[in-house]
Amino acid sequence: MIGFRLSAQKPPEARRITDDVIQRFEHIYEVDPAKMTIIEQQDMPAWDTMRIVDSRWEHLAWMHDHWADAVLTAEDLGEGGPHPDG
Amino acid sequence: MNTFVAIGDTVVDELRAILGDEGVLIGKAARYNRTRVPAPFPVHRWAEYVPDLVVLPRTAEQVSEVVKLANRERIPVVPRAGGTGLNDGALPLKRGIVVDIKRMNQIKEVDLVDRTVTVGPGINMLKLNEELRKHNVMFPDDPASYPCSLVGGRIGTSGWSLIGGRYGHTRDLVISFQIVLPTGEIIEVGDGGGRKIRKSSSGFQLKHLFMGHQGTLGIVTEATLELVPRPEMEFAAFFHYPSYTAAWESTGALAKSGLASLGGVVLFDEYKLRYLRRDDEAYIPRPDHVRAVVATALYGTRDEVEPAARRIMRIGRESGGTYLGDEISSGDWASRHDRYATPLHGRLDTGEVVPMSWHCEDASINYSQLPAVMEKWHAITARYAEKTGILDDWGMFAYTNGAYKPWGDYLTEIDIGIWEQKLSDDNWPDWVACKREIAQVALDHGGSITACHGATREGDAELIPVEMGGGFDVMLKIKAALDPNNIMNPGKYELDRAYGLDEKVFR
Ligand SMILES: Cc1cc2nc3c(=O)[nH]c(=O)nc-3n(C[C@H](O)[C@H](O)[C@H](O)COP(=O)(O)OP(=O)(O)OC[C@H]3O[C@@H](n4cnc5c(N)ncnc54)[C@H](O)[C@@H]3O)c2cc1C
Repeated sequence: MIGFRLSAQKPPEARRITDDVIQRFEHIYEVDPAKMTIIEQQDMPAWDTMRIVDSRWEHLAWMHDHWADAVLTAEDLGEGGPHPDG
Repeated sequence: MNTFVAIGDTVVDELRAILGDEGVLIGKAARYNRTRVPAPFPVHRWAEYVPDLVVLPRTAEQVSEVVKLANRERIPVVPRAGGTGLNDGALPLKRGIVVDIKRMNQIKEVDLVDRTVTVGPGINMLKLNEELRKHNVMFPDDPASYPCSLVGGRIGTSGWSLIGGRYGHTRDLVISFQIVLPTGEIIEVGDGGGRKIRKSSSGFQLKHLFMGHQGTLGIVTEATLELVPRPEMEFAAFFHYPSYTAAWESTGALAKSGLASLGGVVLFDEYKLRYLRRDDEAYIPRPDHVRAVVATALYGTRDEVEPAARRIMRIGRESGGTYLGDEISSGDWASRHDRYATPLHGRLDTGEVVPMSWHCEDASINYSQLPAVMEKWHAITARYAEKTGILDDWGMFAYTNGAYKPWGDYLTEIDIGIWEQKLSDDNWPDWVACKREIAQVALDHGGSITACHGATREGDAELIPVEMGGGFDVMLKIKAALDPNNIMNPGKYELDRAYGLDEKVFR
């Protein structure tokens, strides 16, 4: 990262998903901070959240590669796609 | 016979002579860190279970010398591998010496002709498979603790593997092993004799006796393991259902498919989805009509997996499932090999977040009994959650349990969050009672109280004589004959009764 970029530091505004859950980044769900008074939620810069998410994808890719030469998907079979049916 | 002595300086000197100075740890951190495992633990009584010292042997001969010394001096000995056990097997209930086997992690022989690998018990499966990949083979024992449990602990618990439907479980994948008996002799056990022989009718089947005893009958010092061809292809499919019953029926249909490449079928119940929706990233956006999920995974050659995958898609849909998409199917499946990622928080009944550790209570339950057991386990958990205010029901899953024929019975688990910091002498008995009621339900439904964790601890252990019946008396006789001074992991499995003691595990 070169220089200071506000967007890399400040997480976007939260959107409510359910009574218990909020979302700031796509695919990343967070416990509603209002429910975190006994244990307070940590402030995290946006880049750190993204780093953790990226490393999770890396971890999953590593696991796939560790267990088999190739991963077959329903899409490969013409049987579905990346997203749910219906 | 069972009056253990505190460890004196001369014993420490003798141990140093056997293991070298760096092989004997007496520091506080080394001992406190080897007191507990991830199973719920009376943290308010931590200090009572700290071992007197830790040894780190490198050879079977060193283990044998340590055990002989302990037997002579009547000092408890507890083997410890990865320390990931979910039932306190590696916890030194009576203190003494913890034998940490992590340094015995060598790969001694890879035999590509007779298809075996011989290792020290301190090796981890992930590390082993990284080496085996060079030869296009693998050791497919795959617990959800795959990156951190060790071969010695897998034998100590008789572990269960995520892909056991295809490749078998630990007992099927360990061909033979070397074990140091409680009196120090080193022996080899297998189905019969022959280090690399998979099937024999000679003598007693000693491999099975020394598999899953939780370190109460000896310490494994070497193991010869099965090699299988590295899978060419993996396929995972997750389906969702409008009800638990629909998912349960579909699970049965998928498990009975007869496909040899089927690693396993998992049924997640409504409570599990509710938990995932509130505290985990996986399924939160799913609409309310998604009430249960079934997951399947296939491994094998491309020629096997491709047609089998088509059939799985067909059975899943024909039996009422809706495909959850490739992203969740392959992504979530890959995360199953390492469940340490479980969020370590739970909720009070107010919805407030508190730090909780994860406990999972396991049992083996027949397919026909799963719905009834599920209801009873949740009711018990709800009752104790209300009473104690420190428990949170994180849902259940049922996972095919048979090796190669994964259709008759299921590893059934209920995950319960526990606010451990709040444990006290007042509420610990409630937790134990909760466990005992859960285990009793398994027995009432013709099951076994544990599929893979073991049942050494209070809450489970007192039901082992009930489950085993006359077999428990045989266990006591074997224990007394092999371990005359009760030094090997004493206090576990109610085996103290072999010595006329009937002590409670946790005071
Ligand atoms: C996140 C997570 C997921 C898990 N998923 C699974 C799963 O899918 N399947 C499953 O089976 N288990 C699972 N477990 C439980 C645990 O990982 C297994 O029981 C595993 O086999 C324990 O191995 P370990 O090396 O950690 O052994 P430890 O916990 O160190 O020891 C386990 C028992 O074996 C004894 N022991 C250790 N070494 C030896 C030895 N050399 N000789 C004799 N006895 C010995 C110990 O005394 C103890 O009684 C999971 C645990 C966690 C934390």
